[in-house]
Amino acid sequence: MSLPYLKKAVAEDDRETLIRYVRLHLGDGDDAAGSKEIDKAWVEALKPLLELPETDRGFIESTLAERDHATLCHLFFYLHLYLVRHSGEWIHDGPF
Amino acid sequence: MAPSDSSPSKQLRPGLWQVVNDRYPGSMITKEDLVPLAALKKPLSECRVAFLSTSGVQPKGSLRFDTAHPVGDFTFRRVPSESPVEDLEIHQLKYPTFGAERDLNVIFPIERLRELRDEGVIGALNKSFYTFIGYNMDPERVERTLARDVAEALVEDQVDIALAAPA
Repeated sequence: MSLPYLKKAVAEDDRETLIRYVRLHLGDGDDAAGSKEIDKAWVEALKPLLELPETDRGFIESTLAERDHATLCHLFFYLHLYLVRHSGEWIHDGPF
Repeated sequence: MAPSDSSPSKQLRPGLWQVVNDRYPGSMITKEDLVPLAALKKPLSECRVAFLSTSGVQPKGSLRFDTAHPVGDFTFRRVPSESPVEDLEIHQLKYPTFGAERDLNVIFPIERLRELRDEGVIGALNKSFYTFIGYNMDPERVERTLARDVAEALVEDQVDIALAAPA
């Protein structure tokens, strides 16, 4: 899907197209795999927090407050790949 | 090798992009402009050759290609053509790199090109090869920025042949 195609989907609030694109992106062209990858990342983010470890809230708060929206969105995609790599189940061909 | 006399007026693989867009609606690129073939103006043994690759190969320690971004990475890296393969690494998620990790030359034939240079088959290697990643969802931006920047670098380097290979 090209960028103009995706921007048209945004303009028309065509969420199905946008969701499918994210799944295709994260699933390397397979939207079912991408959906599973998204779930995997959330599970991987949840697991360590169940023990209520001390986390760096200051870093989180300052990052959210001081960084621009686009950078945070970009970081979100990086965190997805970080989490799925951390899961030990890496479906992608190349390294992160 | 004698200079090529191939006709510059014939489009290679006409209809290719239409097939791609029919199969993947809204995807990739529409290309109807004629891209003429460029005739070689001197023997290969006198030519300066650069290699262009979408493999995501880059010098270790350079800013890694952005494989997370949903729209792609529109930057390129210069890879010194005399780089030992041990000094190079791949950052790319979208193609199998198993073979290339064992022998980088299967995707980025830097040693094979040096051999051809040493044997006199080609005149010289450009000081830099150019690499980027193929996962870019904005083909117009690729043309406006990445392709233009690489083309300008090739012209500045006075390259005679740019050998391009997808990954």
